Amino acid sequence: MIGWVRDRIDSFRGRGVHAVTVPPMDGALRPNTRLEAAAVVARLPAPDNLVEHRGQVLFSSGPVVHVLDAGTGAVSAWRRFGADVSALCSEGGTLAIGLEDGGLILSDGADRAVKGIEGGITSIASGGAGRLIVCVGSARLAPSEWKRDLLQAGATGSVWTVSLGDGVARKVAGGLGWPNGAALAGERIVVAESWTHRLSQIGAAALVSDLPGYPCRLAAAPGGWWLSVFAPRNQLIELVLREKAYRQRMMREVDPAYWIAPSLSPATGFYDPMQGGAIRTHGIVKPWAPTRSYGLLVRLDAGFQPIASYHSRADGRFHGVTSALQRDGRVLVTSKGGNAILALEEVQP
Amino acid sequence: MTSLVEMTAITKEYRGVPAVKGVNFTVEAGEVHALLGENGAGKSTLTKMIAGVTSPSSGSLKIDGKEVSLRTPSEALAHGVAMVFQETSLVPSMTVAQNLYLGNEKYFNRLRGLTIAAQQFLQSLNFNVDPLAPVTNLGAAQKQMVEIARAVLQKARLIIFDEPTATLTPEEKRYFFALIRRLRQDGVAIVFISHAIEEALSIADRITILRDGELVVTDQTRAFDRDKIIQAMVGRTLSGALYQRHDNKVRPAGKKVLSVQNLSMGALVRNTSFTVYGGQVTGVFGLIGSGRTETAKIVAGILKRNFFHGGEVRLEDRPVTYRLPRHAVLDGVVYVTEDRKLEGFFDQMSIAQNLHLGRLAAKGPAVVSHAEMAGLAREWGAKLNIRSINADARVIELSGGNQQKVVIAKSLVQKPRLVIFDEPTRGVDVGAIAEIHQLIQSLADQGLAVLVISSYLPEILNLSDRILVARQGRIVEEFTPSEATEQKIMYAAVH
Repeated sequence: MIGWVRDRIDSFRGRGVHAVTVPPMDGALRPNTRLEAAAVVARLPAPDNLVEHRGQVLFSSGPVVHVLDAGTGAVSAWRRFGADVSALCSEGGTLAIGLEDGGLILSDGADRAVKGIEGGITSIASGGAGRLIVCVGSARLAPSEWKRDLLQAGATGSVWTVSLGDGVARKVAGGLGWPNGAALAGERIVVAESWTHRLSQIGAAALVSDLPGYPCRLAAAPGGWWLSVFAPRNQLIELVLREKAYRQRMMREVDPAYWIAPSLSPATGFYDPMQGGAIRTHGIVKPWAPTRSYGLLVRLDAGFQPIASYHSRADGRFHGVTSALQRDGRVLVTSKGGNAILALEEVQP
Repeated sequence: MTSLVEMTAITKEYRGVPAVKGVNFTVEAGEVHALLGENGAGKSTLTKMIAGVTSPSSGSLKIDGKEVSLRTPSEALAHGVAMVFQETSLVPSMTVAQNLYLGNEKYFNRLRGLTIAAQQFLQSLNFNVDPLAPVTNLGAAQKQMVEIARAVLQKARLIIFDEPTATLTPEEKRYFFALIRRLRQDGVAIVFISHAIEEALSIADRITILRDGELVVTDQTRAFDRDKIIQAMVGRTLSGALYQRHDNKVRPAGKKVLSVQNLSMGALVRNTSFTVYGGQVTGVFGLIGSGRTETAKIVAGILKRNFFHGGEVRLEDRPVTYRLPRHAVLDGVVYVTEDRKLEGFFDQMSIAQNLHLGRLAAKGPAVVSHAEMAGLAREWGAKLNIRSINADARVIELSGGNQQKVVIAKSLVQKPRLVIFDEPTRGVDVGAIAEIHQLIQSLADQGLAVLVISSYLPEILNLSDRILVARQGRIVEEFTPSEATEQKIMYAAVH
């Protein structure tokens, strides 16, 4: 009862969980244009899921898995699937492919389907010792319906491990807010939970919380990790997320393209809600209307703390960063919203 | 020619300890005379004897060649000597106009006439102060302006300013110096005590430097440069390197300790956000009115954010709301005030009592232990090199630098994890500045999160591992020390 009263007061005053606040991008997350200035390696629609498999760089674009020649930027189709590819991972010579329709295929010459995973797969990571870590964003919605899950305050995500040997899936955590990336750090599984803006350890305290964006996939880097952040948080969306009736009506009556929700790419139409207004300050265009899309790749140290970041800002082109792959001293980055694969040549630190 | 003021072999002792020892000092009519020295050098004591605030223990004081014995400031004023003190002597509940004419009222006063006269007079000085505003509503800089205006209004032949520019913005300083030049042209002599050496070099005709109560040198300004003045003040060469970064090493950010998110308080703090990390010094620069102090005070539980949607303060990722500063102290957040005289210490209490009060705030009600109190005074007196006549000295008897060290020690005994310094070296001499800077650096080296608010650019550049710039109630820019320059920071602060 006391808790309910306190919650009502907090709601009235905009305090506690009802505070419409967003952490600043400062310190290691200080805005720059390094992602914007990165070299474009390839251009094609919605690239995602960069992995290295048997010496080749693979990535997905819709239902097709492509091979990328990172040197020349040449792209060739490797294989087409029956549904959009939502996740890729290479482990011990086996390529795991997560599909939009909920299927998980293990491909090592022959294809094997993994049964028992409930929901659409958002990310697959190596779990070491012939094991995969599989993230399921929602038990009810497909990966492409991520905006709806966010606006429904979804918390039905789960994390699974799959043995490559027998293909048996085992649920290790549930009730998560859109798990969208994972990594194995020592013995612990670290999961990027997009809707709670944190990196958490299964069965332990969060490593990083209150990120200023929605985190997704984690990729190994020398002495640390790369964290892709696919969209920024802003006060307008935080406000909408606290207004249940408004959200329900918006989802019911408005075309999903115009929902007030995070986005992978800046919209260009005049119907787009509150994006595009800007002023020039210190020679940099700064939005006065909250941007719903952004490009952000974060370098984490071994303890998963941010130490550097690469940005494509509100006025940039390479938004919606969803995956990264460090290879030959460069970092390849997919800008799903910018329809491009980028290469960062001078990575810091 | 007879000097306006002539002090010969003047000595002032407190409890047998000399604060001023056999000083010879003269002021000529129509000159600007800068009085420099470390805190505790005897500058204020010397000028207070001229202004009748205190009497010399020995020696002679002549005004216009005649030996005088001044017992009160009004006697000094009768001889044409007025003093503008660091501590404001205005009546807070009265308006600016009433304060200006306080003591000079006619039998019947027309408030409207008083206000109009005050308005005209303030405008003639280029001081942008509302004569109808109650003094309690004025900021520190505006109070200082009223003090200055009152001294000028009393038509003194000698005006003594004690740290007049410490609270003024660069623009207000320009007006102030123009005023000084005008007074000099009118034949008014000015003595001004300052720690800003550049100010002394630019405005003064003669400079006198005191050290440990003794006269070191008096000469024409052209005989000095910055290094020479510092060497004379401290007896050692500190040079301009005092405010230079000693190395280019920047501490890496530790754990996120403080996250201020969309904090708002009226028109002063407007949706501001920033982060402070452990093991780093985060510097915040901004002009007066940029909301830096108010933001820090909200974090420390001294001020309250907006009641509705006032934003959030998160300490190590936990949202916190403090109703009292003590709650912040218990959480390891301490705020070292910019106004030490008003908010920093109990001036009639000893160093030990002040430090013990700081400890009690963190520990809660407890039996007062005199042994613990004495131990604290010993420990922190040695750690921070607090110099006093004796261990039981009241804080009011200490010099500005030592008072500031007491305020800092009073906070550090609370074992904080986040220390907020607001203008840590305001009104502090160069020797103590170096010590305080070293202390701030050592706190960050120990892993504490340190936030330093300063209006002095060299200080921000010297101390900070990250530099934030505040403007109009919010943080608008962040610089790394390697890319920051005074020009870039100032540009961000005003544009």
